[in-house]
Formats: sequence, C-alpha cells, structure tokens
Amino acid sequence: MKLLLSLFLTLAASAQVRHEDVAKGPGTDWLTYAGSYNGWRYSPLSQINAATAKNIVPKWVYHVPGARGLRSSPLVYQGVLYITSGNSIHAVDARSGRLVWQYADPRAKEAGPNRGAAIWADKVYFTTSDNYLTALNRHTGAVIFSKKFADVEKGTTSTSAPVIAKGKVIGGSAGGDGGMRGFVMALSADTGAELWKAYTVPAKGEKGAETWGNLLEWGGGAAWLSGTYDPELNTLFWTTGNPWPDYNGSVRMGDNLYTCSLLALDLDTGKMKWYFQFTPHDTHDWDAQSWPILVDTEINGRPRKAVLHANRNGFFYALDRVTGEFLRATQLIDKITWAKGIDDKGRPLMLPNSEPTPQGNWVCPSVKGATNWMGQSYNPGTGLLYVLTLEQCGMYYRSSQEPQPMKNFSGGGATEEGGQVILRALDPKTGKRVWEYPMTGLGRMWTGTVSTAGNVLFSGDDDGHFVALDAKTGKNLWHFNIGETLGASPITYSVDGKQYVAIASASAVYSFGLFEPAVGVEAPVIQIK
Amino acid sequence: MRALALLALLTLPLLAQHGRYLSDSNNPAIGDPVAIAAGTKLFMGSCAGCHGPDGGGGARGPNLVRRSLWHPLSDDAIFQVVRKGVPGTDMPPTKLADDQTWNLVAFIHSLTGPASSNPVPGDPAAGKAVFWGAKAGCGNCHAIRGQGGSMGPDLSNVGGSRPLAVIREGIVEPAKDLYYLGNEAATVVLKNGQTLRGVAKNRSNYSIQLVDTTGILHLLQMNDVKSLTLSASTPMPTDFATRLSKVELRDLLAYLAAQDTRAAESKGSPQ
Repeated sequence: MKLLLSLFLTLAASAQVRHEDVAKGPGTDWLTYAGSYNGWRYSPLSQINAATAKNIVPKWVYHVPGARGLRSSPLVYQGVLYITSGNSIHAVDARSGRLVWQYADPRAKEAGPNRGAAIWADKVYFTTSDNYLTALNRHTGAVIFSKKFADVEKGTTSTSAPVIAKGKVIGGSAGGDGGMRGFVMALSADTGAELWKAYTVPAKGEKGAETWGNLLEWGGGAAWLSGTYDPELNTLFWTTGNPWPDYNGSVRMGDNLYTCSLLALDLDTGKMKWYFQFTPHDTHDWDAQSWPILVDTEINGRPRKAVLHANRNGFFYALDRVTGEFLRATQLIDKITWAKGIDDKGRPLMLPNSEPTPQGNWVCPSVKGATNWMGQSYNPGTGLLYVLTLEQCGMYYRSSQEPQPMKNFSGGGATEEGGQVILRALDPKTGKRVWEYPMTGLGRMWTGTVSTAGNVLFSGDDDGHFVALDAKTGKNLWHFNIGETLGASPITYSVDGKQYVAIASASAVYSFGLFEPAVGVEAPVIQIK
Repeated sequence: MRALALLALLTLPLLAQHGRYLSDSNNPAIGDPVAIAAGTKLFMGSCAGCHGPDGGGGARGPNLVRRSLWHPLSDDAIFQVVRKGVPGTDMPPTKLADDQTWNLVAFIHSLTGPASSNPVPGDPAAGKAVFWGAKAGCGNCHAIRGQGGSMGPDLSNVGGSRPLAVIREGIVEPAKDLYYLGNEAATVVLKNGQTLRGVAKNRSNYSIQLVDTTGILHLLQMNDVKSLTLSASTPMPTDFATRLSKVELRDLLAYLAAQDTRAAESKGSPQ
C-alpha cells in the first residue's frame, strides 16, 4: 500500500502539461495567461462564492526582487505558482509563497515589463525583453534552451506571455511606438526554432501595401499582447497595435493595414484567414490590444460563433469568428467624440476636428483608450462579459518633424486629463450594459478581472484595492487595500482542496483564501550530519 | 538562521549580476584586450601587493573578484576609487592618466566579468569530456541545457554569470563558502512513512521545497514531516584539486566558461 501510494505521488508529481489540459480550461491549475484558450479568465472553482467572500483573508505575499511595476499574471501548476518580472521568472510554493527557484537574465538589452509565462510538458517559458524565448525545467528552474527570435536592434521587443497550443509557442512583437514591423510567430516548444512568422504590415508589393505611403518597413502594428485560440477552427485570434508614427497620419495616407486590427491566423501555418480593422488609419494610438473573447451566443437573433472585442477606440464589437463578418458595435463608454457610430460594414463614421493637429484637438477617448489590455472575464454562468473601462479625454497634438525610426519618435503627443475607471458588465447578446461599478482613482490602473462559478468577480481597482463583487449584480462583497497601483490581472487556483485568488501588485504577488483558524507547527526532528 | 542564510544566498547571485551588468561603462577600454593587457601590467606593479595577483585579496586589500558579487561597483565608481583612493583606509589615490586608469579599470572589470566574456586558457572540447566522464562525474549532479542531474546547481549559464575565479573556487574549494546552501542535501521522512531524498531548494520552520533525486519537486508542510536530516557540508565532492590533473581542470574550466545562454553575443565582443 505504501509502495502504491508513493508510486501514485511520483506519477502525479511528474505529470506533464498536455494540449488537452490547457484546452479544458482552469480547474485547480491555471495553465495559460487568460486561463483558457478562449480568453475567458473564468474558473469553475466555487469554494469562494458570493456567500463566503466575506471570509477572504490574505494567505501569503511574495515580494518579487527589484520589481516596481509588475504586469504579470501568474500561472499555477500542481501547487507551484510562476510569476515573471522584466527578464526574470520566479517559481513559488502556491500554498506558502515560499520561493522554489528563480531565474534572471540580467544581460538582456532592454528592461521592459513582462506579462507572464507559459507552461508545456515539463517546461515553463518566458521571453526576455530583448526577444529570447527561455525554457526552464518546471521543477528545478534549470535552463533547457534560450533562443533569440528577433533582433532588438530592429526595434522589436517582447512583453507578452506566450500562448502554447499543440506544441507551438505563439508570441509577437512589441515596440510599435518607435517604428518597427510587427509580427505574430510560432516557435517550437521543444527547441525554440521558428515555425512561422506572420507580419502584421505587408511588405512592398504585397496585398495591403497600397494602404501605406513609404513607411511600410517601419509601420508598427505590434502584437504585444497574447491572443486567443479556437481549437475547433484551429484558428488564432491576435490583435495588432497602432501604425507608426502614432500621431502623424499625413506621412502614411491610407488605412494602414493590418494595424489596429484583429487577425484570424491558421495555427499550423500562420496564414491569415481573415482580418478586421477596427480603426483604419489610426492617429490616436488606439492599439487593438484588448481581448478577443471567443463566445458562442445569439447575436441579432442568430446563434453565432462570435468573437467579442471591447476596443480602445470606444466601441464594443461582435464579429463572426468563422468568417470575420461584422455583426454589431455598441458604445463601450459614454463619451466618444471622434466617430458618431460604426456603419453596417464595421467602419467608423468619422466626426470632424478629431485629428491631432499642431495646436491640438480635444478628443474622447484619451490615448489610453476606452479600455486596454487589462484582463477581461466572460462568465458562462451569468452570461456577462466584464470589462474595465476608462471615461477619459485628452488633447492630441501632431508634430511636423520627419519620422525617425527607433528614436523614440511618435509624430506628436497626447494628454490624459481627469477621467474615471468604471468596471462594466456587458451582455454579449445585445452589447448593452447590465451593471457598472464606478471606481475612485486617477485612471492609472492596468489591472484586470477573473470570475468564477461561485458568482464572484475579482478585480483590481483604480485605487490600489483588490475587490470581490457579486458577478450577477456588481454589488461589492469584499475589499482589501494592497496600497500600490495595480497593473496585472488576477487568477484563481486550488491546492489541497482550498481555493486561492492571486494577483500581482506593483512589487509583489498576493494570494488570498478563506479564513481558517491557525494550526501550530510542530518542528520535526532535525539532524545535521 | 540557516534558513535566513539560505534565502540570502538564493537571491544574492541575481542581485550581483544585476549590479554588474547595469553598471558597465561605455568606455572603449572595457573589454578591449589591449587595454586589459596594459591594465594587467599596472595591476601587477601597483595593486597586486595588497589585492593579490589574481585580485583575490590580501592582508591589506579586499578580494576584488568576490567582493563584486555582494558589493558591485560600477566601472565609473572603480575609476573614481583608483583615482581618489578610499580616505581613511590603506587605499591611496593615484596620479595615473585617464587612459591608464581606464586600462586598470578594464582589467579589474575583466576579473569580475563573466568567464565567457574573457579569454580563457584550455580546450573546451576536452573539458566537455571531463565534465561528462566518469572521473569527474559532474553531469551526475549538474545539468547543462537539460542534460545531466538535478541535485547540483544548473550550469547552463555558469560561464555567462560567474567570473572564472569563482567557478574555479567552486570546483576546487566547494566547501569554502556557503554557496551550496539553497542546494542543501536533505533526507525527509514523512509522517506517512514515505522517505524522500534530494536537495532542499528552500526551507523554513513551516515548509520545505525539495527536489528529489529523480528531479521531481515536492512541496512539503512541516506538519507532515517526521524527521529531517541535512548535510552539514556541501554535497559536492571536495577532492577535485587532486582528483583531476592540472590540464583536466584547466580544460574543464574552459568548457564551463563557454556555458552561456547568450554565447553568440558574448563571443568576440566581451561586453
């Protein structure tokens, strides 16, 4: 019996993460950035629920050495929590927060933020800010490989959490505000070798190049956020960033394909199945980087395989994810001054005086956007999508300087003035708001949400609090003052039958659970020989 | 206390690396073999008397190699110390010209820089055979890029993260300092009767994180532990100075110096 038990423990401990494990979505573990391939940030765990949330207490804190503005969402596998910071990754005991191992690459040539790790087989992966994919043994932190996938010298950096599907590590390029050529790529999870690279801006002579002037090769369209994946369609849904230079559109007349777009790419080849451009010829730095959420629902009276997308430009879109057909757009925020709506093809109906000028134009939403990359959550129980929105406007200026790639040149500038963060619950069927939760603060947070079968929605707020809301009504259930600006999205997991909720603050990871009376720890017999 | 030391040592190499690399100067002397050679001459003439011929420290001057691991100075700060001395200590000011001072800084930098960024004598191919061969048996405990054992520290980036002098010391005098803590050899007997052997990656009065001899991680609560036996010294054999010939040791060091996750960048462009 003892032998059987120990055999079982060893087998369980040496299990490997397979495609099916990630595809089935979160349970006790949290295996990919958004929890599941469909981007839901939803967990079936329900020990912490609307009735028990009043008993939530902090369980542990892990201070990430040197961290000042964490953007990372943790992963959890078999009781170990993995968190990344810029050019480093840390494995901690998910019950105690005690460090197991850490790995840092201090020679990286950039010091940018990092949004998280990926896990596959017995390896964990993260990217350095200067474009190395590093794979480490999940038990020991030993390096398996560290392979460069792009040149930082060409303006490309890396910030996103890789997504691994069918043994392919999917990632993309950051750096679009300084002039570069964006791409989405697939690397082998076994070796780091490139399998395909799909550029988000066409090369000269390719289809779409006619929507640009002469700045094609520095056109931007960065892919700096992870995307989603539909295993049935074998399709990746990845968003692209702004065209470059950000605020001066006069040097790149045309729609600037495929910037500010959603791309549907074949997982095996990277071939584009369709694209949808939210903001043609963007001049407000309204990257399309927010989540493409995959939901099967009824829209305009018909059942659809939909992709939902709350965009930085102020509108909330629903597309058919099989064909890319535009289905509907509604207002995500109250105040939008640049377009009076979206036409039946999905193109914005522009309003005058909304372009950046040398004197400046006052435009809503602000450069930060009506929402951004913060984690959204779709809860199949409530049928609601939870989105952190920002009601904010600002001045947009254009400079007449010659574009200078990789010189920190953006062709102008923008201000962010006042504003309020409001967490909104949207009905995917109608695009309408069901409830909202206004926050106090300065519009500075980048935190996100996770929701559960326990009908609880967890979110950071704009004031440094971590809060639990009733997912059906938006009623506040619990709050905890972390006391730092929050820039990362929460997750939930379970170890030994106990549910935890974890979130990174600016400098540390906090994990919460339900109150239990303490049990004194008796020291074992310790011999030192 | 051991637990505290353990935590400190786990984090120390990371901090040290950050300090060093973020503090590199853009002065052309740094990493320039000609400047380093000129700096070597100056060092032997004026500095070695106190700091030792390999910078390893002497009666009057601190160890410049190891000191950099816990008190990293930027190249610019070293320049100023050479120029102005350290008031109140035996370290005097100098009257060297700027370029000579930079040559000296370049040499001191090379002492503390990663082994992969400096010229290293020996044959890495022969050293590879030593590493994986039965006589040294390094691969039984240490891994390089996924091959090898998991009881000892991973060496995939040892050349890219440690000065040569520190790697040498780790081989010939592994018990000299507390580097092995964090890779503490441990045997745990659980209250359920199970016995686990391996290394404690971390340990407190309340929990222990143990990688067993097959490379599997176990997260244990102390309340589940009946007894714990810890090795009083490093699990690393302490006889490599005599077990290996001088040539074998030199070649092994050349192989380890080449272990660098950024080898393509380090090679030929020292900084």
